[in-house]
Amino acid sequence: METLSPSSSSISARRESVTFDEFSMQQSLLFTDSLKDLKNLRSQLYSAAEYFELSYSKDEQKQIVMNTLKDYAVKALVNTVDHLGSVSYKVNGLIDEKVDEVYGAELRVSCIEQRIRTCQMHIDQEGRAQQSLVIAAPKFHKRYIIPVDEPLPESGRKATAVNQERSFRPKEDMESQQFRADFCSSLRDRPPSFRKMRSLSPSPTMRARSASPRKGRSPSPSPRPGKWTTDKRAISPLPTANPLARSGSFSVRPAVLNSSNSARQLPVVAHKSVSMKLHSERNDNKEIERLPSKSKSFLKTLLSRRRSRKDEMLYSYIDEY
Amino acid sequence: MARAGGITNAVNVGIAVQADWENREFISNISLNVRRLFEFLLQFEATTKSKLACLNEKLDVLERRLEVLEVQVSTASANPSVFT
Repeated sequence: METLSPSSSSISARRESVTFDEFSMQQSLLFTDSLKDLKNLRSQLYSAAEYFELSYSKDEQKQIVMNTLKDYAVKALVNTVDHLGSVSYKVNGLIDEKVDEVYGAELRVSCIEQRIRTCQMHIDQEGRAQQSLVIAAPKFHKRYIIPVDEPLPESGRKATAVNQERSFRPKEDMESQQFRADFCSSLRDRPPSFRKMRSLSPSPTMRARSASPRKGRSPSPSPRPGKWTTDKRAISPLPTANPLARSGSFSVRPAVLNSSNSARQLPVVAHKSVSMKLHSERNDNKEIERLPSKSKSFLKTLLSRRRSRKDEMLYSYIDEY
Repeated sequence: MARAGGITNAVNVGIAVQADWENREFISNISLNVRRLFEFLLQFEATTKSKLACLNEKLDVLERRLEVLEVQVSTASANPSVFT
């Protein structure tokens, strides 16, 4: 039974196909017959109309002719409606079937187009890959080549590590190294700074100044344009070679002011000390307390200015107060 | 006798008028149905024409696409080195 089942299924399929073909053939025959009837309906109606007209005029039983004509007209109308309904239904079915077939054909064509597009994409990718393989990419060394004549600074594993670092060092590092070397050479050529000179100064007064509470203070601020600073620097009683003259602040050197401007610049000194409060808050209270004593010392320095210009003692006196 | 003849004539005329009205009603019904049938035929023609036009357009588009595909296939078959 199992072996016969495929053959039976194929036979049934053939029968179904045969029956479907027969059914479609019958439907098509009926459709053609109905179309022929519709075509002949016009001539039949005309012939019936002529017959009834003659019989109505010749025959004496007109009522019977009239009744027969009525029945024939009704039946003809009904048959016409029936034929037209069947024909229109079949025409609609045929058109829908053709539309479905066209949709199926469009779908198949779309599938074929998609396949062709996919094939085209694969062909393009393959061509691109082939062309990219043809182009030879340039190869560069991963590290710089050190000349053979240049000796290695060190040997062994450490030396190779240093060489690798050197080889991977970028250009900016090389420039910064060069700048650092130049800076060190310039520092060697420069004279020692004032702070160093002050720390290395052999005089006791310098040591006293370095031991004063102003020791940790930053250097004097940048010179401001104005009359006060130029006058102070012009008539400074201290020797110009003395580095302490630059390291001192404005508030601790009121003695260097001119006598003609002393009365006017006393508040300036006070204002300056107040302004310095903003920069250094830790010495503000001490400076405000020292302001009268500084004015006194300022007068004393004016009086003792004519005695001698080399007044190391006066400087020590100012520092003590 | 004259009165009876007049009455029968009036009855006959009344019957004839009634039959005439019945015939007129029948003819109007038949003409109305024929008009409806004619309207149906006109509507059917219009819908069938529109469907056929749409189908014709689709068939034209499908024909062009098939022509394009045919040209592509012929081009590909003419250059077999592309597929190698």
